[in-house]
This record gives sequence, C-alpha cells and structure tokens, in this order.
Amino acid sequence: MATQDYTSVSDEKLVRASQRGNMLAFEEMVKRHRDKIYARAFSMMRNEDEAMDLSQEAWVKGWQRLKQFHGDSSFVTWMTRIVINLCLDQLRKQKRHRTESIEMMEEESGGVERQMPVVTVNPTERLERGELRQRIDKALALLSMEHRTVLILHEFEELEYKEIAKRMECSIGTVMSRLFYARRKMAVLMASYKREELS
Amino acid sequence: MKQELQLQLQSYLDGELSGREARQVAALVEQNHEAQSLLGELRMTKAFLAGNEPEVTVPESREFYWSKIEREIARAEKSPASAGSGFLLAWRKHFAPLVGVALVFFLAVGVVQHYDLSLFDGNTQMENEVENNSEFTSSFSFRSHPEKMFVVWVQDKSAETVSEVDLEIMDEVEDVVIQ
Repeated sequence: MATQDYTSVSDEKLVRASQRGNMLAFEEMVKRHRDKIYARAFSMMRNEDEAMDLSQEAWVKGWQRLKQFHGDSSFVTWMTRIVINLCLDQLRKQKRHRTESIEMMEEESGGVERQMPVVTVNPTERLERGELRQRIDKALALLSMEHRTVLILHEFEELEYKEIAKRMECSIGTVMSRLFYARRKMAVLMASYKREELS
Repeated sequence: MKQELQLQLQSYLDGELSGREARQVAALVEQNHEAQSLLGELRMTKAFLAGNEPEVTVPESREFYWSKIEREIARAEKSPASAGSGFLLAWRKHFAPLVGVALVFFLAVGVVQHYDLSLFDGNTQMENEVENNSEFTSSFSFRSHPEKMFVVWVQDKSAETVSEVDLEIMDEVEDVVIQ
C-alpha cells in the first residue's frame, strides 16, 4: 500500500507534504495519532459514538486548516486543540438542552464536596499502572461534565487557568472552583475504591 | 477553612501565584495544620493523575476510520467548487449590494416623480420641503423649481450637543413665541 511508504517519515515532513495537498501523507498522520485524538474526545464526551464523530470531524477540520499550522506546537498538540474545541462546542449545545438539576446548581459552590473529609492516605499506593488508570477512568466518569472537563484540560492538557477560562467561556474564578472540587471528588472516589479493595 | 484560602492553596500548588503571594501562602501552610492536610491531598491527586490518563483506542479498523474522513474531505472540497454554487456565491457577494443601491435609486426617482406630478402642479406650488427624522440622522430637503435649486441638509444626531449657537436659536424661538 502507498501509505506504507510514509511510515518512517517524521511528522514534520508529513505535515509539509500534507500542506501541499498530499492526502497519503495526511492519512499516515491520522494513522499515527488517531488514538490520541479519539481518546481526548472520549475522555470529554464519555460516549463512543460522539467521540468517534467528533474525532473524525477534527481530522477533516485539520486537513482544511493545515495552512494555518505553522509549527508553533507539535502537530498532535494542534490537532488535540481542534478536537477539544469541537467537544466543548458539543457540550455547550447539550448543556442548553439539559434542565438544571440540583447537582448542577451545587457544582459551582462545591455541593457535597465541601463537607468531604480530607484524604490523608494515598489510595493509589502499590497499584499497578494499568489498575490505576482504570480507577482514574472510573472516577472521571462519575464527575460532572464541567468538573471533568476542567480537570482534563488542566491535568492532562496542562493548560493554565486563564487558557481554560477562555476555552470554556467562563471566569478564572469558576475554573479554580471547578478544579478544586473536581480534585477533591477524585481523591474521595479513589479512596473509596481502595476501601472496597481492602474489604 | 474559607473557600478563598482553599483556592489559594490550589493556586500555590499549580504555580499560579506571584512570588510574594506564594511566600505568604507557604508561611501560612507552615502554621496551619488544616491547610497542610488539604494541600497534601491536592498534591497527591495531582501526582496520581499526572501521566496516568486512561488509555483509549479507536474501536474501529484504521481503514474504516480513515474512509469516513476521506469521504468528508472529498465532499467538503467538492461543494464549493461546483459551478452553480460558485456563481451564486459570487453573485451574492458582488451583485447583491449593487441591487440594493439600484433599488434605493429607483425608489428615490419614484418619490421625486411623485412629488413632481402631485405636489408641483404647474405654477401653483413651486417649492417643496421634505423632512426625514430617523434615530441616528435627520435630513431636510428643499426644492425650488423657479430657482432650479435642490438642497439636502443631513444631520448626524449622535453628534448633537447643545452649543452656544443652539442656545441662541432657542432664544430666538422663545422670542418669536413671546411676540
């Protein structure tokens, strides 16, 4: 297959070839990074079908905007930003259709997380990496969309408060508050999994 | 513990505080046991999340995944290139404003003709004054057939301020009323 010709070519060269309209080079880029882009979409949407659609849409937009990529960041970082923006747009649309629940009203102020006792013993000690990742995934699924998104953008995408606020179209104070309660809830959930394991 | 302090502890952990603020929080943490515990938990959470993002893979074959992307790219590139839509796009972009201008022109001609026929009937009425008041501008036009003169006065209402001249005019108006 023609795409096999590109397997040993660097990302930088593939991007340049793609910018000249070489679709095979772009296909190789998709092949290399599709899991990462899909994973980011899935972590935010928590839905396979939506993650699939949004990640594919991100690749289409990536192709269309290739000329705007100047190499200020890595190509995969640039693509990740595109998929994040698509997911945020989608989440905003969904939020408009949701009715406000008590949980949503409490999430700004912290709700029950305010009363949670501080976790002092590390619940992830002696855990295999695979097991740790599974537990993190399980806990992330239980967070509200707003808390999960802010946690992903800060901890996994390593964005600063200001940048998160800009992307989520909210204040820095809201970002700080959401991040704080998301972390607290993660700690408590991880501790509860540890207790389940011991009992 | 106050929420403000809780968020300050987190900002300290994330390196979002200035040097002076960070030193203040560090000093507070040394003395406050509750702050120490909370900072410990936040630090622990940050640490176990770092580099441990759950791994997920695309649940479809590479070929199938790519085929949809390829199809969408082809579809998107095809649609604006079609002759019909290209012509329509160009028409809308360049000719629609011209049509608007032409419409305004014909309306203006129609209005003038209407006044010519109905208002300026022979020599009975030689002059015509038309006033137009909108929210942002006002215009006043004066036309005199015998003088072969047509004057349009346009005024920007947003720039209107009460000036000395205005006050003088107001005085004059008052004078007229008094008289």
